Amino acid sequence: MSRAACAIALVLSLIPAAAVAERCVEDDAGATVCLDAPAERIVALSPGAAELLFAAGAGDRVVAAVSHADYPPEAEALPRVGSYDRLDMEAILAQRPDLVVGWISGNPTNQLERLDALDVPLYRSEPRDLPDIPATLERLGRLAGTAEEAASAAADFRAELDELAATYADREPVRVFYQIWAEPVMTVNDEQIISASIRVCGGENVFGDLERLTPRLDREAVLAADPEAIVSGGMGEADDSWLDAWRRYESLQAVQAGNLFFVPPSTLQRPTPRVLTGTAELCRKLEQARR
Amino acid sequence: MRRLVPPLAVLAAAAIAALAVAVGIGSVPIPPAALWAVATGGGEPLHQTLVLELRAPRALAALAVGGLLAVAGALMQVLLRNPLADPYVLGLSGGAAVGALAAMLLGLGAALVSGAAFAGALLSTVLVFGLAHGTGSWTPTRLLLTGVVVASGWGALVTFMLAVGPTRQLPGMLYWLMGDLAYARSPWWALAALGVAVAGAVPLGRSLNILARGPLQAAVLGVAVRPLEWGIYVAASLLTAVAVTTAGSIGFVGLVVPHMLRLVLGNDQRLILPAAALAGGALLTLADVLARTLIAPEQLPVGVITAMLGVPLFLYLLHRSRG
Amino acid sequence: MAESLATEALVVDIPGRADGQPLDLAVRPGQVWGVLGPNGAGKTTLLHTLAGLRPARSGTVSLADKPLPYWRRKALARRLGVVFQERHDGFPATVLETALIGRHPYLAPWDMETAEDVALARRALARLELGGLEERLVGTLSGGERQRLSLATVLAQEPGIWLADEPTNHLDLRHQVAVMDLLAAQAVAGCGVCLCLHDINLAARWCSHILLLYPDGKACWGPADAMLVTEALEDLYGQPLVAAEADGARVFVPASRASHKP
Repeated sequence: MSRAACAIALVLSLIPAAAVAERCVEDDAGATVCLDAPAERIVALSPGAAELLFAAGAGDRVVAAVSHADYPPEAEALPRVGSYDRLDMEAILAQRPDLVVGWISGNPTNQLERLDALDVPLYRSEPRDLPDIPATLERLGRLAGTAEEAASAAADFRAELDELAATYADREPVRVFYQIWAEPVMTVNDEQIISASIRVCGGENVFGDLERLTPRLDREAVLAADPEAIVSGGMGEADDSWLDAWRRYESLQAVQAGNLFFVPPSTLQRPTPRVLTGTAELCRKLEQARR
Repeated sequence: MRRLVPPLAVLAAAAIAALAVAVGIGSVPIPPAALWAVATGGGEPLHQTLVLELRAPRALAALAVGGLLAVAGALMQVLLRNPLADPYVLGLSGGAAVGALAAMLLGLGAALVSGAAFAGALLSTVLVFGLAHGTGSWTPTRLLLTGVVVASGWGALVTFMLAVGPTRQLPGMLYWLMGDLAYARSPWWALAALGVAVAGAVPLGRSLNILARGPLQAAVLGVAVRPLEWGIYVAASLLTAVAVTTAGSIGFVGLVVPHMLRLVLGNDQRLILPAAALAGGALLTLADVLARTLIAPEQLPVGVITAMLGVPLFLYLLHRSRG
Repeated sequence: MAESLATEALVVDIPGRADGQPLDLAVRPGQVWGVLGPNGAGKTTLLHTLAGLRPARSGTVSLADKPLPYWRRKALARRLGVVFQERHDGFPATVLETALIGRHPYLAPWDMETAEDVALARRALARLELGGLEERLVGTLSGGERQRLSLATVLAQEPGIWLADEPTNHLDLRHQVAVMDLLAAQAVAGCGVCLCLHDINLAARWCSHILLLYPDGKACWGPADAMLVTEALEDLYGQPLVAAEADGARVFVPASRASHKP
């Protein structure tokens, strides 16, 4: 055997190993997920996972999703496999998925364990901070064989995020109360990804130090914290009625200055690339509050 | 003995039919020929997985849990001589719920949630046993009162955990409290417990009939009242603990199935106990089929269906029995 | 059936009451004992103690010279039957089922009642004029019918010793007589019978022996003739009485106000 042939054989023998290595990623539960071939039949077990898969360029490989997977519009046409908190195991298996993207804190633990037991390849997702979003895009892209598109989407995200941060993060701090629910009043602490958006915009979550991820508050606590701006979502994408409830507390700085802001909840509360849209809007609103 | 066979045969047929329906129906349609192929050891891998890994274990778990709850309910009603008693009346499901929810809050896996539920149920049993035993005097009223108060205590803890639990975990916790066979992992423990319980309880049936007429009457007719009462208590508690551990606290079956059977079959425990095992199992199995398929792919908690099926059935039987 | 129920220095445990007089008596085959006493004298408690349903404070109760605690509960149940004053009917049951529970002491756990058991229960029901009511639910019976059903259950139990707590409660006069006749017939057939009674005249008519229980724990007992004397009964009930003889039996009626002694 010539040296050239040897070299070729060596290279050839390395290719499968390299190919295998390329299909292995670590998920948010710390487990290594490996696929023999790019995933072609993907089931998304949360609306956010569906959105991330589409953003990673794997949209045409997603064969089913849970209910309320409504973005991008193509996702709405997907077959459903139950809701994120009660999965229809039969419907999932019937799709013969070669990759399932689960949601650690949203899907029932026992059902995810059952998928593991049935040898269904499972990527457990749980982005906790803004930089986790492009990282997830890259990993999903690697599993779905759309690494290039995913890498470019991730790069776009990082660039846009850096730009927002460069513009707003060091501006004069605005003390913000972010309301995720009205009855009872609920907010988020600094661990929650919404607070990351607030930080990028140079805001400061007045309840960031609280122990729980989504603390329940009484109204007095909000009055005592006296935020400079109140930001909320609502029951729908254009429902700002929750803010009205605050208007009668005229002692609040936010009310005096007219800094009651509505940001459509799905753009800020879902850990997907669209969070930049919401974050940009939040940054503009907080900038308004600085005037 | 001849008197017992026809109703039990009918109920056994119903239970088998319910199992067949549960294995045959799901959110994915499988044609009968394919089902037969799986049953005979062949068939497509997907169909094998659906039938053998998902449907069959879940159907058997439903059968076992329904049977366990109905038998435990019938036993509790005799023990407390109170028709309103159910398997949960002495606080057992509360203890199990506290265990299960605490495990969920700690983010533990399904096996540990089950283990914690079983531990909670046993803790509650021992607690009520100890407190009701107290100074040595023991009456159904005292046991019932102790159980109800302990149950309220558990209820407060459950509410506390729901209040402080992370929002995203709330659905899972609520579904557990409503009872959900999606938690069922392996049916074998529950089936074995049910078999042992029925085999053990039927010979005691006549003694139970007499115990239902009061401890003095029972003692004078040769029933060892105290050992029998504690035996029932421990047995009913263990059965309930196994059921709750398998599928969360499914309501209604344990309260109403024994009463439905009494309306139709009379009150001979030798008949009622095995009949409850079969009827409770069949009812829960069918209810779970509906829970899985009614608004598929969305899934309903099975407790909703047991009540929706059971309430009209019970009211019909009650109405008929009066007329 | 030649077994006697005997007490030896028996002190009944009535909570919050000082020890009464120890009882040494024997209910022998062929005897009908009547226990008389005012409300609260402890008649029911005594009956339950005699049945081994509650422990004595001291002394023993023996059946066939063997103390009750040494008897196996089931063996005892074949020899000793109790008609209770209070009943818990629990879940709905038919008249026949209720009479059949009397056969429980004779059946092993796996046994079902035999045709013989059912025939025995039906005979017992017929004996108490409950024939034809076999399939009725117990809850639909009148008080008197329910009382007779209790007796039918014990009749089906075929004990050698009968203990009955006010067996004539709720019964009209004809049925009172029928029940007393039935119990007396049991004694004639070789059973020992012990009854708590409120009616002195029923006791006088049917009982061979009498136990007088006083509220202060005092007691006396013996053959009916010796015990049923006006002074003792007046003392027992705190009520002036007048005695008369009618149809060969002694009869006691409350004295009229005019004859009250000052």
